[in-house]
Amino acid sequence: MQQETDEQLMAAMQVGDRLALGRLVERHHSPLIGYLYRLTGGDRPLAEDLAQETFVRLLRGSPYQAGRPFKPWLYAIATNLARDHFKAAATRRSVAPVETPDTIDAAPGPEDLALAAEQGSEVALALRRLGPEYRAALLLRFYGDLSLLEIAATLEVPLGTVKSRLSVGCRRLRELLASPERSAPC
Amino acid sequence: MRDLLADQGEAPAEIAALAPTLARLTSWVAPTPTAADTARLLARLEPLLPAPSPVRQALRAQRVNRRSEPAAFLTTALAQVELVRPAFWLTSAAFTGLGLLIALFSVHINQVLVLRAVGPLLAVLALSDVLRGLRLRVLELELSCPLSPARLILARLVVALGYDLGLGILMSLALGVSAAQTPLPALVLHWLAPLLLVAGVALLLSVRLRPDLALTLTYSGWLTLLALTVGEGQAGPVSRLLTTGEVALALLGLILLTGALLRLRAQLPALLPRAGA
Repeated sequence: MQQETDEQLMAAMQVGDRLALGRLVERHHSPLIGYLYRLTGGDRPLAEDLAQETFVRLLRGSPYQAGRPFKPWLYAIATNLARDHFKAAATRRSVAPVETPDTIDAAPGPEDLALAAEQGSEVALALRRLGPEYRAALLLRFYGDLSLLEIAATLEVPLGTVKSRLSVGCRRLRELLASPERSAPC
Repeated sequence: MRDLLADQGEAPAEIAALAPTLARLTSWVAPTPTAADTARLLARLEPLLPAPSPVRQALRAQRVNRRSEPAAFLTTALAQVELVRPAFWLTSAAFTGLGLLIALFSVHINQVLVLRAVGPLLAVLALSDVLRGLRLRVLELELSCPLSPARLILARLVVALGYDLGLGILMSLALGVSAAQTPLPALVLHWLAPLLLVAGVALLLSVRLRPDLALTLTYSGWLTLLALTVGEGQAGPVSRLLTTGEVALALLGLILLTGALLRLRAQLPALLPRAGA
């Protein structure tokens, strides 16, 4: 039997189809948590909260336009939610700014290095030090398995900008992984 | 990874230089939600689902509760019994009774001729009721109902022609009991073959013509054929054809009925009443 597309499931969900909701969530819950986990620098509770809020927005947010590619729409909601979260957090703690994807510090502190060692991955640390626009593009491309056009739709930027961000992001990541302590932030 | 890098326009040398870096990305494994996590999320989301309209709920319930295909069709046919007009039942029974009386007591009219005239007349009455949606211009309403119009027409045909079959068999039994010179199967064939033939031709014509016109033309044509047999006598070619080819006529009628149903199914949207029609 032919599997229903995300777009068909979304259309069915909009008229109250529970099965369609179940299939969409089962299909995208895990990849979305993976994306948000990496986007938030390895914060699992935050990633889970944002994933849940993303699905809530699917149901209660602006109406889905029939025929619109679903996956870029889903990841755009998730990306925007993460960005809003960090902006709000930065505003709340403006007296003592905390590290956010928008304000990654110049060099990792001892805590960051310890966390990275604990996670067994310098990749996490290197990604956290990338600018948010590069990090989102890299995560969508190399973890989310989105096409270049889908990334452009998700981030609402031209295709050329996506290619540029991926190209610069890859090189920056290589530098960060080569010498994490010396590399300047981007 | 190399393919992805090539897609974004990296030169081969750059791909070779970047590949190890990107390969390291896979070393950062993200947590995966458990089935319980997903179930909890679904439990949180389900109350937010928009409530479907009562009509949609009823349609969904019908899909879920749909029993096996024959049982579902029987339910549809039984529902159509309620919708068949009383005039159909009464008129069909009256014509059958009249034909039976004529066949039994008339000394001037051939019994076979009566059967051959009554059988198709029953088909005409049946089709007139089955296709009333076209005549009464309510086809649009029927098209909007959950059942397909073709299924409705088939269910009505089964009901109406089934009733005709019952009447015809009763008529044959009565004739067989009172005048045993003709075997019962032959008596049945005398009215059944023309009934099926006229039903098939009339239904096929209904796709192109108004149903009442199609029925009138078909039955008139059949009566003309019968009149020819009266004029030429039993040795005439038409009489011989009708006598020896009754089984073939019945089969032809069945084929035409099937073909007509298939055509009707494909052409129903074109039969919708049009403005000014």
